[in-house]
Amino acid sequence: MSLLNWPTFSMTEFQHIKELIRLKNPTVRLEEWPVRVRGGLQIVCILEGKFEWLIEHQRHVLYPNDVVVLCPWHGYGSPTNTLEIGSLAWLTIEPTSFEPSKELFLGEWSAIADADQKLMGRLLVTQAPMVLNNFKWVCDLLQRIETEVKQAEFAYQTRVNQLLDELLVTIVRQLSQQQNQRRDFPQAFAQLEQLFRNSLDHPWTVEEMAAVVGLGSTAFTEKVKSFSGFSPLNYLINIRIAEAMKQLRQTDKSLTDIALDTGFYSSQHFSTTFKKLTGYTPGQFRKRGTQ
Amino acid sequence: MDCIVTIDIGTTKVKVSAFDQAANLIGWRQGTYPTFHPQPNYSEQDPEQIFLTVLYALKSLLNDELTKKHKPVALVFGASMHSVLPIDKQGVPLRNAVIWADNRGRDEANSLKNSDECRLIYEQTGTPVHPMSPLIKIRWFRTHTPATWFEKVYKFISIKEYIIYQLTGQLVVDQSIASSTGLFNIHTHRWEERALNYAGVQPHQLSELVPIDYAELKLKKEYVRLFRLTSAAKLIIGASDGCFATLGAGVITEGDATITIGSSGAMRVAGKQVIKDPKQRFFNYLLNEGTYISGGPTNNGGVVFEWFVQQFGASGIHLDLEYTVNQLLIEAERVPAGAGGMLFLPYLLGERAPLWNANARGAYIGVNITHERRHFIRATVEGIIYEMHSIGKLLQQYRSIQNLYINGTYASLPLFAQVLSDVFGKKVYVNDKHDSASAGAALLALTHLGVYPDLEAAAKTIRSVESYQPNPENHERYARFTEIFDRLSQKLAEDFDALVALQ
Repeated sequence: MSLLNWPTFSMTEFQHIKELIRLKNPTVRLEEWPVRVRGGLQIVCILEGKFEWLIEHQRHVLYPNDVVVLCPWHGYGSPTNTLEIGSLAWLTIEPTSFEPSKELFLGEWSAIADADQKLMGRLLVTQAPMVLNNFKWVCDLLQRIETEVKQAEFAYQTRVNQLLDELLVTIVRQLSQQQNQRRDFPQAFAQLEQLFRNSLDHPWTVEEMAAVVGLGSTAFTEKVKSFSGFSPLNYLINIRIAEAMKQLRQTDKSLTDIALDTGFYSSQHFSTTFKKLTGYTPGQFRKRGTQ
Repeated sequence: MDCIVTIDIGTTKVKVSAFDQAANLIGWRQGTYPTFHPQPNYSEQDPEQIFLTVLYALKSLLNDELTKKHKPVALVFGASMHSVLPIDKQGVPLRNAVIWADNRGRDEANSLKNSDECRLIYEQTGTPVHPMSPLIKIRWFRTHTPATWFEKVYKFISIKEYIIYQLTGQLVVDQSIASSTGLFNIHTHRWEERALNYAGVQPHQLSELVPIDYAELKLKKEYVRLFRLTSAAKLIIGASDGCFATLGAGVITEGDATITIGSSGAMRVAGKQVIKDPKQRFFNYLLNEGTYISGGPTNNGGVVFEWFVQQFGASGIHLDLEYTVNQLLIEAERVPAGAGGMLFLPYLLGERAPLWNANARGAYIGVNITHERRHFIRATVEGIIYEMHSIGKLLQQYRSIQNLYINGTYASLPLFAQVLSDVFGKKVYVNDKHDSASAGAALLALTHLGVYPDLEAAAKTIRSVESYQPNPENHERYARFTEIFDRLSQKLAEDFDALVALQ
């Protein structure tokens, strides 16, 4: 693009940073900003001005300090292809692997634990694209990363990677929290439950559930218990067994297939859980339905 | 020590409680389940999930909460009304259960309304013609599903019947739940042919009718084992939660009324006769042979106040709703009666009694520049109660009401209770049994076991622990507001329709 001020510094030490760009746009430019998929895990900060964009077919008006978080497959841009007056900064990270149905692996450079990266990926898949309103903290972090890269002081590569990690952790925490700011627990829980139903065979952990709702696992467990009467995992098992009961009586699927489809790691594990909860083995329960 | 276990299958949760021989609560457990809205106007629940939640709650009460010294001698069931679940010959649900809040039968209800047929059905069944009613829901299935599907339906049952069927293998329905289906003749206590014809079902597609103290149910041996019961423990079929709440409030004879405000609300009276309202605004359900529970349900109870809290209070995932509710109520307490001349119509969810207008919508009226948030909070509370008063005003054309007995999460809050007392100009009592529906179920079981000679004697044992006196000045002031309120809710009908068209 003609107007992009490509950074004047070398990015060769950072294979995982695809772009780090600050863009000042003094006049309205037509045809400069069409809606398109830009690739990579992208974080865009609005620094000055007001922008009207389509982000994955949703219209958003963005103001200074708003942050847009996008996965590699998300498209965004101006519905009229116009770039308005103002300034932006964005960072595009190229994860080693990241697809809607594949686990996120950022790359060797990140110190975020593997399990947390996977969870980050799931949260991004379910919650992005996301506009985080008035989130100056991210804009400042971006500025610091830029300064580090430019000045190349002692151990700056390490420092940049640490800042990237911090940026991602901050954003992921904010994703859940902003979603749940105006929401009370029952509403957030209802949404989580919907997520359970959509991915019943996913090996959910309490940490993961808590992150989706935007709480720490301790507070989350306590809230689920007092709200629903179940521990989080028992609630999930309840949904799994309810689904299994349906499949046992309404389909001819094998017990193993039903077990795996409803999130049990073996038919043995499924049978024990089923019997403990319902008083019957899956086989007995299936027969019972045809008496 | 012998104890009674009550199972209350509500709209959002099942609550299982244990009571001793004097109907004192020993312990309880609960489990929640969601309502699905696959389309606007649809409200459904998963019968298997509800069943599992019942099992889980029962198991944890009987195996973890009660000690060796408690011996459950009877289990008794209460449940929400108006749910419909089609099952096949094997007893397998053909789809999710459709619950009371489901409005898919709007058109069916509207085209039946105001006809002679409608009047006759209402006179025979005592249930207002409305999408909530299984009468309308089954009619909807008849007209919106292929004949091949409809032929597969062995029976249309309620969630309560399904749970009992799962536990016992028996398909029976108590007359109390049946009396809220719109398919049951409230005078003869049989299925009503006229209503069945309209809905398009045969009598054999409904369960066998039994009285509420029917105790011939046999728990399957697997569940006797699972719950660690003795085979001597009785299963009593029980009634609907609404009838149980009235019994548990101690009001089953004429002269008093109960007011329930949970997420929705209702005002109920009891008596030996049905209320014959030519405008068909009241329900008449059966508690037992000879006791009718009549009244009006409102959609807009605590759920409206919770909406306000979520929008305008400090809400959020970390905050406890209960805490925020109390904070706002403290603010509202500081505002004098009448919210500085502002009035709120609470029809966020349309309305059943007394308007029976699905298109009714909410409004704040009379707002001026000096009004602050606290006035809005106060007006919201008062609006919910004005609505209850407009049901009460009509009920009093048929019955004299001396005292009000309140229950439900919201009615029992001090501000709500005091405003109820002031608006009605009546003494308001709060009972020692906070959960009237479960207490009512326990009273039925204890009566069946011979602890009380009859339900009236059982109801007399309910004691009040708190009472509120009406403040005469406030009552006089509120009388002016309720007058304006009733006028506005009628007058705005056309504008509600116009706005709904834009929503």
